[in-house]
Amino acid sequence: MSHVTCIELIAFLDSYVDDELDAETRAGFDLHLLVCPSCRAYLASYRETIELARGVAEREEELAHDAPQELIEAVKRVRR
Amino acid sequence: MLADDGNLIERLRTGDNVAFEELVEHHAAPLLAVTRRILRDEEEARDAVQETFVAAFRGIGDFQSESRVSTWLHRIAVNCALMKLRIRERRREQDVDALLPHFDPDGHQDHSSVSWRETAEDILQREQACALVRQCIDQLPEPYRVVLVLRDIEQLPADVVAEKLQITRDNLKVKLHRARQALRTLLDPHMRGAM
Repeated sequence: MSHVTCIELIAFLDSYVDDELDAETRAGFDLHLLVCPSCRAYLASYRETIELARGVAEREEELAHDAPQELIEAVKRVRR
Repeated sequence: MLADDGNLIERLRTGDNVAFEELVEHHAAPLLAVTRRILRDEEEARDAVQETFVAAFRGIGDFQSESRVSTWLHRIAVNCALMKLRIRERRREQDVDALLPHFDPDGHQDHSSVSWRETAEDILQREQACALVRQCIDQLPEPYRVVLVLRDIEQLPADVVAEKLQITRDNLKVKLHRARQALRTLLDPHMRGAM
């Protein structure tokens, strides 16, 4: 891939982020990123998106210290 | 298996009611968080947790001693939640195209992307901002939301998710990439100005 366009880079961005591209293709992507601020911004925000999704779930788990008591009692009743 | 887990499992296998209650008290909250994320319906999420414990107790003999109890319960909870999703009246697969980037004829982005003003780490410090991210995740069309939750949030392996959703690994990869792009689009107006 000697001349990468934005559409090609964004189509395979998941493979780029997950380091699944061969060396030549990755080098083509890196070259495009050097000269394209829009794709650099897109890549950064794509990574932040993944981090936000994970982070929000972790924050929710931190806040979810207790299950509702009625749920715990209902589960115990099923067992009895 | 942790030492505490081993003791608990042994007691569960002998039908110890106190052990069962300990299991419920300790694991109900994190499991409810998982089923809520998948189902986005409080009543269904609670039902799925109940079914998880029932299935766990019935399947206690199948518990692999090299596993952690929390991992074993997590897998059962994901299965119970996914079963409910399948049973739930299937919503028509909404088109995600409107949330994907668009390009001009020579392959450039038709609207330039701009850098976000804050990092995810900064955003996550604020509860209101977290709620807004959660709202954006919930706006994703159902099949894409579920893929994002199972892969990026629950971090289940690709082959496990593909099998659970009965799709190919290639299809899963495409759906996950689209889900991330769509979520990025939904977050973008908020993140440009910072929340």
